[in-house]
Amino acid sequence: MTIFKTTALAATIALGAISATAEDFPERPINLIAPFNAGGGTDLLLRGFAPHFAEAVGGDVFVSNMAGGSGTVAAGALAGQRPDGYQLGYFSITVSTIQPQIKDVPYNIDSWSPICSVAASPTLLFANADSPFNTAEDVVAAVKAEPGKYIFGSSGPGAMTHLTTVAAFAGLGILDDLKHLPFQGSGPALQAMAAGTIQFFGDTEILMTRGDFKPLMVFNDERLANYPDVPTAAEVGIEAPLNELYLWGGLFAPAGTDPAVVEKLSTSCEAAVNSDGFQEFAAQTSTVLNYRNAADFEAFYRAQYGSNAAIIEAAGL
Amino acid sequence: MIEVLPQALGLILTPQGLMVLSFGTMLGIVLGALPGIGSTVAVAMILPFTLTMDQAPAILLLLAIYAGSVYGGSISAILINTPGTPQSAATCLDGFPMAQRGEAGKALGWSTIASVVGGLVSAVVLIFAAPQLAAFALNFGPIETFALILLGLTCIVSVSEGSLVKGLIAGMIGLFLSSVGGDPITGEARFTFGEFQLIAGFNLLAVVIGVFALSEVLIRATKPGDDGATLISFQGIILPKLAEWKGRLKNLAKSVLIGNGIGILPGTGAATAAFISYAEARRSAPTRANFGKGEPDGLIASESANNAVTGGALVPTMALGIPGDAITAVMLATLTLHGVTPGVRLMEDNPVLMAAIFSGFFVINLMLLPLGMMVSKVAAPLLRLREAYMLVVITLLCTLGVYFVRGNPFDLLVMALAGIIGFLLRRQGYPMAPLVIGMVLGPTLEISLRQGLIITDGSFAAFFSGHPIALLLAIAALGMLSLPFIRMWRTRAA
Amino acid sequence: MLTRLFSERALIALILLLIASALTYSTFGLEFADLGGAFDPTFFPRIILIAWMALAALNLIVDLRAGTGWDGQGILRVGIMAVATVIYMIFLTTLGFFFSSVILSVLFLLLLGVRNPLPIAAVSLGVPGAIVALFNHMLTMPLPTSPMFWWI
Repeated sequence: MTIFKTTALAATIALGAISATAEDFPERPINLIAPFNAGGGTDLLLRGFAPHFAEAVGGDVFVSNMAGGSGTVAAGALAGQRPDGYQLGYFSITVSTIQPQIKDVPYNIDSWSPICSVAASPTLLFANADSPFNTAEDVVAAVKAEPGKYIFGSSGPGAMTHLTTVAAFAGLGILDDLKHLPFQGSGPALQAMAAGTIQFFGDTEILMTRGDFKPLMVFNDERLANYPDVPTAAEVGIEAPLNELYLWGGLFAPAGTDPAVVEKLSTSCEAAVNSDGFQEFAAQTSTVLNYRNAADFEAFYRAQYGSNAAIIEAAGL
Repeated sequence: MIEVLPQALGLILTPQGLMVLSFGTMLGIVLGALPGIGSTVAVAMILPFTLTMDQAPAILLLLAIYAGSVYGGSISAILINTPGTPQSAATCLDGFPMAQRGEAGKALGWSTIASVVGGLVSAVVLIFAAPQLAAFALNFGPIETFALILLGLTCIVSVSEGSLVKGLIAGMIGLFLSSVGGDPITGEARFTFGEFQLIAGFNLLAVVIGVFALSEVLIRATKPGDDGATLISFQGIILPKLAEWKGRLKNLAKSVLIGNGIGILPGTGAATAAFISYAEARRSAPTRANFGKGEPDGLIASESANNAVTGGALVPTMALGIPGDAITAVMLATLTLHGVTPGVRLMEDNPVLMAAIFSGFFVINLMLLPLGMMVSKVAAPLLRLREAYMLVVITLLCTLGVYFVRGNPFDLLVMALAGIIGFLLRRQGYPMAPLVIGMVLGPTLEISLRQGLIITDGSFAAFFSGHPIALLLAIAALGMLSLPFIRMWRTRAA
Repeated sequence: MLTRLFSERALIALILLLIASALTYSTFGLEFADLGGAFDPTFFPRIILIAWMALAALNLIVDLRAGTGWDGQGILRVGIMAVATVIYMIFLTTLGFFFSSVILSVLFLLLLGVRNPLPIAAVSLGVPGAIVALFNHMLTMPLPTSPMFWWI
């Protein structure tokens, strides 16, 4: 039945073709690309988002996955696609601003028409709950006393977890006195935390609540509601641009997308983010929503691209 | 766990609960049995439908698909020598020779019983000892993991059919392939020679399906059968008689134990367990001389171990919130989506849900037997299709399966080339199982070795002082390696 | 003598040795930050490649002495199928799953000796068609589509 209808629809498009304008957009299903495997955090967020986005944009929306290379494979493929607005990628801070600065990937800062930002969660530095460290000063004192003894982990080189720990220890001036142990993903790293192989890890609030961990600082512009006693990175003396780190993500279209289409997608995105259904979804999954429209998101993205260069430099990537 | 069992059973033993379980298991078996489509793709296919379901049914559906597809993988491994998943690769070694002898129904009978026993025991272990086992798994740091993987690598020696040197070469090729792409420690690209796609490395499934399934298509094409020729004669599962188990029970028990043990350790998985257990059976079983020529003990070893892993993998997943493999990671994400935070407090905070999941897992494994027999019965006429049609269908399904693993067209090219290279190598007697072992174990071997060296400041000797588990495993690995030489020496002396 | 030495088996053994040698050589040309030991990206692969090279050398000696000759049965047919598979994978994304699969299926069936047009049409249109209908339209897990029609 549906196939029959879509066949008829497609025939009309094939005949009427090319003369489509932004008013008619969308004439066929929009594909949201998750740059990671099905079932990951990004994928689920996008699958929760898709129905509300479909309703707002007034057409079909489906999610597809293209994984590999920390998300760069999907971004690289999307960058070469026709900028017709029917293929959008959901890229995080690392895929869009970190990876292109540390790897030889076929896209760069100018490859995109940013559509909107959807989520942004600040990251935290944390230690085991039963560890002797309660403040950043404790950490600095202990590390200075025994350089080379303590180890911080990450979910992989260049990942958000790596940048968080590097920002913290570079900001405190003790990065060279610690060892870095990368793992393949957050899971094994959190296990190593529990086993005591590594002493420090940095990730978002939701990840931290999975284990018995104690936050030491938060990379936000203000203290978190759930942890009023945990200082911000700026409060413990970490200077900009290392003091604020957000795991953010948003929709990107290939550069050169028709501004009218971008505008339509961006307002639909706002309606979807603000919809009751998606708000409820976000509350259940502890996702911090943060909508920016196309113009604001583009400015934010470009600023981030620049400021993250400092952390990349500090991490020696 | 035990005190909330009645309440948990109340959650499962409802018409809806039982329907989800039987439907999921059935679908899992069918998807797993299709060549080229493995557990990962099966779970990805069903994931969107779980989003709108309740907590317990959603997780149970995923679990049913997972356990069903691991078992289903053995069906295509035995009948047409094409494992849908790496964990069924060891099943081909004895399953397909049996099928070629005309004992396909019997081979499936052995593998079905072994799978069910493996799965059931692991479910019981899960219900009674998950927290304790998870705590034990914490003893496995990078150094212990390295030693374990070393032990796993020694399997290459025992699965090298025909020529040991050729088997070792295939193993080295597998290990090398796993190192292509981004360096796990520094992130720098290796052996990409300017090809951006290679930064992500070679996809394991693309290579496995290429060297096993696609190369099989090409090998069969060298001698296409007559008009009426079918692949294999198969009428349905024939269960082994009780008397035939004589002398095989020890092998079964040991294999289940190996599967469970390896399952709870993060970063290893079902393929590793199946190969280690196969190698161990081949070392110790009284029937070892027949291994590789269609010996039921080989099937028992690999199938009971890889199904025992499914339960074992849930231990760290549910007790610590740490996924054991890609599929358990999907389950954790699904829990999050339903408002349950995975982590160390998961079992304390949601005892009934967890008990329901674990006992549901038990029920799923019980269902494998009748549902497996049903699926095989239905599948039997399909296998009577003319060989040429089967080869086309296999090629298309492999393409589909590899494409959906991560949606990357580059993987398709990798599969095609792996198929051609696999064809050339297999013709000259290079076994492909070692290549798969190398590729499965390579990433963990490398990262655990280098992590260990970072921890010990570059001292390899320090790996084995102060790490008793690692020392023990390393000695076992050395023993396994020298075994063929000792045997050779003894037969010569005698 | 030369033909005895130069069997297919020996050729494959030689190629494996050459690949291992070339890859090993390439690890010494790569420019990485000089961190040494466990931090060196070539640390692990180099160990593997040297082992591969040694084994391949041993294997070549064994295979040169085996002298198994050549087995040409069906090799032309398989060669065409192999090349077609590679081309198929390349065109899958541009031509779409359906059209490229139809072409590949027809070619495979003809090569494998099926001559009856009815089953050829049924299999080569039916199987890819059913797959596209199931995945692209019922499960919304799309396979690559053709540039002409987004729905197939």
